[in-house]
Amino acid sequence: MNALENLYYDISQEGWAIVASPRHADIVTVTGPMTVAMREPARLTIEAVPGPSLVVAVGDCAAGCGPWGDAPNAGTGAGAECAAAVTVLGCPPTPEAIREGLRRAAELLDGDRS
Amino acid sequence: MTTDDALASALARDVPLGAFADVGWVRFAFVAVRTGPYLLSMPYDPDTGIASLAPRFPLYAWDEREMMQERGIRVEGHPDPRPLRSDAAGTMPRPIVADGPGVTRIVVGPVHAGIIEPGRFTISSGGETIVHLDAQLGYQHRGIERVLEGRSVTETAHGVARVCGSCSAARSYAFASAVESIAGLCCDPAVELARLIVCELERLYNHLADLAACCAGAGWRPGFVRGLALKEEAMRLCARVGGHRLLFDTIAPGGVKRGLLDDRRAVRVELDALAVRVERYLDRLFSHPSLNDRWHRAGIIGHDVARALGLVGPAHRASRGAVDLRAFAPYGAYAFMPPRVATASAGDVLARCRVKRDELRDTLRLLQAALRELGDASLPPPRTASWGDGTAVSAVEGPRGAEIAAVRLENGGRIACINLRSASFRNWPGVARAMDGGIVPDFPLVNKSFNLCYACVDR
Repeated sequence: MNALENLYYDISQEGWAIVASPRHADIVTVTGPMTVAMREPARLTIEAVPGPSLVVAVGDCAAGCGPWGDAPNAGTGAGAECAAAVTVLGCPPTPEAIREGLRRAAELLDGDRS
Repeated sequence: MTTDDALASALARDVPLGAFADVGWVRFAFVAVRTGPYLLSMPYDPDTGIASLAPRFPLYAWDEREMMQERGIRVEGHPDPRPLRSDAAGTMPRPIVADGPGVTRIVVGPVHAGIIEPGRFTISSGGETIVHLDAQLGYQHRGIERVLEGRSVTETAHGVARVCGSCSAARSYAFASAVESIAGLCCDPAVELARLIVCELERLYNHLADLAACCAGAGWRPGFVRGLALKEEAMRLCARVGGHRLLFDTIAPGGVKRGLLDDRRAVRVELDALAVRVERYLDRLFSHPSLNDRWHRAGIIGHDVARALGLVGPAHRASRGAVDLRAFAPYGAYAFMPPRVATASAGDVLARCRVKRDELRDTLRLLQAALRELGDASLPPPRTASWGDGTAVSAVEGPRGAEIAAVRLENGGRIACINLRSASFRNWPGVARAMDGGIVPDFPLVNKSFNLCYACVDR
C-alpha cells in the first residue's frame, strides 16, 4: 500500500490521495483477518467516513483465504466483517493490483453518485 | 550449577534475547560470542511460580507479561503486571499515564493518519514536552504460535514467512536453521551464499524505507520521494531474485526456494546500477544541513538505557552497542563473508540513520561479493528430511536486529512448541523511552528512526 504513493505507481495522477482522517475519505482499505482487538476501532473508523463510501479488502487475509483464518484470535477476514465492496487478492497484493482495485472502487462510487 | 546460577552467569556474560514458556518450562534465550544462540530452560512449577526478572532486567518486562497472559505462568513481583494485549473481548489494558498540574493526555490510534499498522500511543505531555509515552501494541495478535502447534515443518515454514511482511526472510532463516539443527542437516556453501543474498536484500529495502521515512518525519520531502523510489527498485530486485517483492518463502527448511537467482546476470546488472543510485542518495542525505540538524539530538537513547532494555539491531548499535549477530556469532555464509559492524554513539535519530547508512553501503558490498562468489554454481532444491524430534533455538540478524526462533518438535517432526521473538518485540519499549523529554512533533520522526514492525510483535 505504501508503494501507491511512490513515483512508480503515483496514485496522485488519478487524483487520489491517502488522507489522514476517515472524515476526509471516500474509500477505506482494510487488511488482515480482523482480530478481536481491531473490531471496534475498524467499526468506528468506517462509521466516521461520510457517505457515499465503500470498503476495499486488501490481501488474502482480508479476503478470508489467508494463512491465519483459523487462528483463535482472528475472524473470517476484515473484508467480510466490513462488508467490502471490492476485494484485492494476494499475499500481499502487488501495488498494481491494489491500484486496480481502487479504480474499481472509484467507478462504483461514481456510479453511486450519478 | 543451578539454573539460577547459570542464568546469572548468562546475564553477566552473553547477549540476552528474551524469555518464553513451553509446557512445564520457562526458557531464556541467549547468544554467546562465537558459539551462537542457546536456551537456558528452567523447570516451571505452577505452585511456586517464578520471580520476576524485570525489576533488575527491564528487558524481560514484555516477555514476562506475555507469559503471564498467554501461558498462565505465575510471575511474582512484576513491576507492571498488566496484560500485554487485549482480553478475549478485545479490550486493551489501560495505559500508564503521568498526572500532575499542566499535564495533558493525547491518545493516538490504533488506526493512524497514514499507512501504518495499528497501535495505541498514549502521550502524557506538559505542553509539547512528552513526560511519558505508553505504547500499546497487540492489535494484530492472531495467536500464530498456537495455530502452528501440531503442524508439519513445511506447513509451519509457510506460516512463519507470513507473521509479518518486513522481517519475513530473516525469520524464515531462523526457523529453517533451528529445524535443520534438530535434524543435523547442513546446507552446501552455494545455498548458504544464496541465503546471505536473500537476507541482505531484505536489509537493503528495509533500510532504504527507514531513511526515506526519516526524511518524511523531518519534513524533507525530496529525501522521502527519492528514498521510496529506491525502496521500490530494491523490492523489484527482490522479485527478480526470488519471485516475491517481500522475499516470502525464498528461504525454506533444507535450503532455498527452487528458481531462486535463476537470472544472475540480470540481477548483477540491476544491483550494480542500484548501488550507484543509493550511494548518490546517501551522499545527498547526509550532507543536507537542515535534515541532519533535525535528526540531531532527537529521540536520544543512552547506552545504559539501551543495554537495560536489551535493544538489538541498529538501535542498539547507534547507542554504542557492538553486537551484530552476523559478526558476533557468524552463521551461514557470514562465517567467510563477514559484515563490517556499523556503530555510532549519540543514540539519537541521526545516529540510527548513520548506522543504517553504513549498513546499506556494506549490504551492497556483501551482495556484490556474494554474487561474484556464487558465480554460476547451481542451487539444489531444499533437502527434505524426516525432521525428527528435539529442541533448538536459532538467531538471525534481520534488518531491525535479532530474529529468533525457538522450536520443539515431537511426533516425528511436528511442532510441539514454537516461540518467535522478533527484534521489534525487543525494541518497542525503547521507542517509548526515546520519547522521554522529547517534543510531541518529534514522535513520528523518532518512531520512524526505529521503524519497527507491529505484526511480528503481536503474532
